[in-house]
Amino acid sequence: MSLPSGHTMGHTDQVAQRRARCSDIYQRRLSSRSEKVNPGIHSSSHQQQDGEAAMHGAHMDSSVRYTPYAISPYNRKGSFRKQDQTHVNMEREQKPPQRRMEGNMPDGTLGSWFKITVPFGIKYNEKWLLNLIRNECSVPFIPVEFHYENMHASFFVENASIAYALKNVSGKIWDEDNEKISIFVNPAGIPHFAQKELKSEKVEKIKLAMNQQCDVSQEALDIQRLPFYPDMMTRDTKMASNPGKCMAASLHVHEENIPMVMSAVGMDKWKGTEPGEKCADRSPVCTTFSDNSSNINSILELFPKLLCLDGQQSPRPTLCGTEAHKTLPTCKGSFFGSEMLKNLVLQFLQQYYLIYDSGDRQGLLSAYHDEACFSLSIPFNPEDSAPSSLCKYFKDSRNIKILKDPYLKGELLRHTKRDIVDSLSALPKTQHDLSSFLVDMWCQTEWMLCFSVNGVFKEVEGQSQGSVLAFTRTFIATPGSSSSLCIVNDKLFVWDTSHQGTQSALFTLVPTAFSSVPAFSQEQQKMLPS
Amino acid sequence: MRKCRSHWSQGDRERHQRRSYYYEGPHTSHSSCGGRTREEVVTPPLPEHAAVGSPMAMSVDFKTYVDQACRAAEEFVNIYYETMDKRRRALTRLYLDKATLIWNGNAVSGLDALNNFFDTLPSSEFQVNMLDCQPVHEQATQSQTTVLVVTSGTVKFDGNKQHYFNQNFLLTAQSTPNNTVWKIASDCFRFQDWSSS
Repeated sequence: MSLPSGHTMGHTDQVAQRRARCSDIYQRRLSSRSEKVNPGIHSSSHQQQDGEAAMHGAHMDSSVRYTPYAISPYNRKGSFRKQDQTHVNMEREQKPPQRRMEGNMPDGTLGSWFKITVPFGIKYNEKWLLNLIRNECSVPFIPVEFHYENMHASFFVENASIAYALKNVSGKIWDEDNEKISIFVNPAGIPHFAQKELKSEKVEKIKLAMNQQCDVSQEALDIQRLPFYPDMMTRDTKMASNPGKCMAASLHVHEENIPMVMSAVGMDKWKGTEPGEKCADRSPVCTTFSDNSSNINSILELFPKLLCLDGQQSPRPTLCGTEAHKTLPTCKGSFFGSEMLKNLVLQFLQQYYLIYDSGDRQGLLSAYHDEACFSLSIPFNPEDSAPSSLCKYFKDSRNIKILKDPYLKGELLRHTKRDIVDSLSALPKTQHDLSSFLVDMWCQTEWMLCFSVNGVFKEVEGQSQGSVLAFTRTFIATPGSSSSLCIVNDKLFVWDTSHQGTQSALFTLVPTAFSSVPAFSQEQQKMLPS
Repeated sequence: MRKCRSHWSQGDRERHQRRSYYYEGPHTSHSSCGGRTREEVVTPPLPEHAAVGSPMAMSVDFKTYVDQACRAAEEFVNIYYETMDKRRRALTRLYLDKATLIWNGNAVSGLDALNNFFDTLPSSEFQVNMLDCQPVHEQATQSQTTVLVVTSGTVKFDGNKQHYFNQNFLLTAQSTPNNTVWKIASDCFRFQDWSSS
């Protein structure tokens, strides 16, 4: 029934195909209901938002339980929790964590299990899907315990490099509807073989391999135990007291590139244990180790793109790769495309503000294109009840996040040079501090220059006289006559720094755009024609 | 039958916005990548250029472009910051291949560099308080429909204190018969208190 991707079908074919698929899906859902498995580590909030409840604790069917860390039901004595803890204590005494994690894979690689999930995989036939993946995957793999889980299809693989190769397949395969198929990879506990009669030769091979890693000190397990995957969450009491700290950082999920997601399971997943539901069922990667640091180290070796775990951003140079510690890039001063453009822009700004501050802004008519646009905004601060120095800008402020009136939306965008200059003339008189200017030239083409100016100015009259305001003004300009610039778009944003305490910073000796350009003195400015 | 956009009721607008945000319509014939993802800013197709000449024609044109710009800007800002906060790895899908970013004075150019850059930024929580936009004059863009989008608000990067920020985007339209897809051609981001950080 499967077609190579890209094959086009007639409409009636499509309908028939769809019907057949729907009935397949129905069948798969029926069968999956009787064999619920607990998903691996839960993915980030992104998937939660999708309403993909399948990725989170499935409803436990009491007949079959997926308990990767538990002693198998056949050997269970007394309550699970108690037993698990005993089990845990046994391990700790007998083997240091490090060795256990590394395992004894025949080829020396780190042995651990990964759950491979195809979202909405319930649409796909198992064989078809696995073949599709195999064709694209750079390494051969043995899918273990392929199953459908709510809307998704999942299976396990037992090797980090295989998991990594499968991750790379995501987004490179398409289904019959030409939809990209994503593949999610998550670390997982041991698939529960004991519950399922798997007679295939492949599975026997796996069991053999697993036996080789048998920790002889372990007993009472049906399955030979594999090394635990290092955990990302601590158990029980720690969780309860420090829910925030115990969550691994929820990470960026990208549908195409596999998220190496360390889950951020909501606290509600830990609360409200249903009677009979075992702790380990919901958290297959519960730790048995008290020492988290070596766990984290191993994880990061495998998944170098991960952020730091446990929501901590503090650097751990001995443990984490540099990728794990993310800092902000250093903030720098003005950015100009080139020296020539820098001079052009600075000259323009000098002239512009000379006129702007002169008391008569009509002189700016020559700076604007006939059909230029201008608008201004001030911050929207609902908490601001006190009258501020920004009140004079309030009526002209265009903030389409809160402004829904279509008439005003239109009105407050000034159009044509005449309207613009009239509108500018009505704004309070100012004195700009050119030495405070910082310029970002962020787009340039042969036809235009786009740059933003940041700086401060003083109000020179009226009630707010003397108050200092900050601004960012974005100009888009085209080449004008005689190597000048012609403004086609002008966007002004004014705010009051006094709330932020940054006012003084702007007046400190920070290298600014104009530091190498002599500023006009007051006397000089008065002498220039308006 | 499509109504003139200015006659759309609030309900129409909301329905349309929902539709274009979670676009699940039929694939366009030249779409090579399967279904649409949520990391795309999509608006209705752009209007044909009305005959220029009379002032009336010009003002009708302009108003239409202003509306178009507003729609694109609102849609864009929602998607952009949510993607930045929650699906960081998908963020560069919103950028043109040759897009450039000036981030607090640091220049980043091209998708590869952008991918690396956003990868190295700590996780973020953005709160946008101000949004404004303007259609960019065609003389500056050689008739490539472009919108200037300006935002401001606060951002908290993991491990850092909260900052006020200002951001500017140039969005360009890529038109198909069915819709318009907007992508970032250029991006300029600054903390308001950049000098003290």
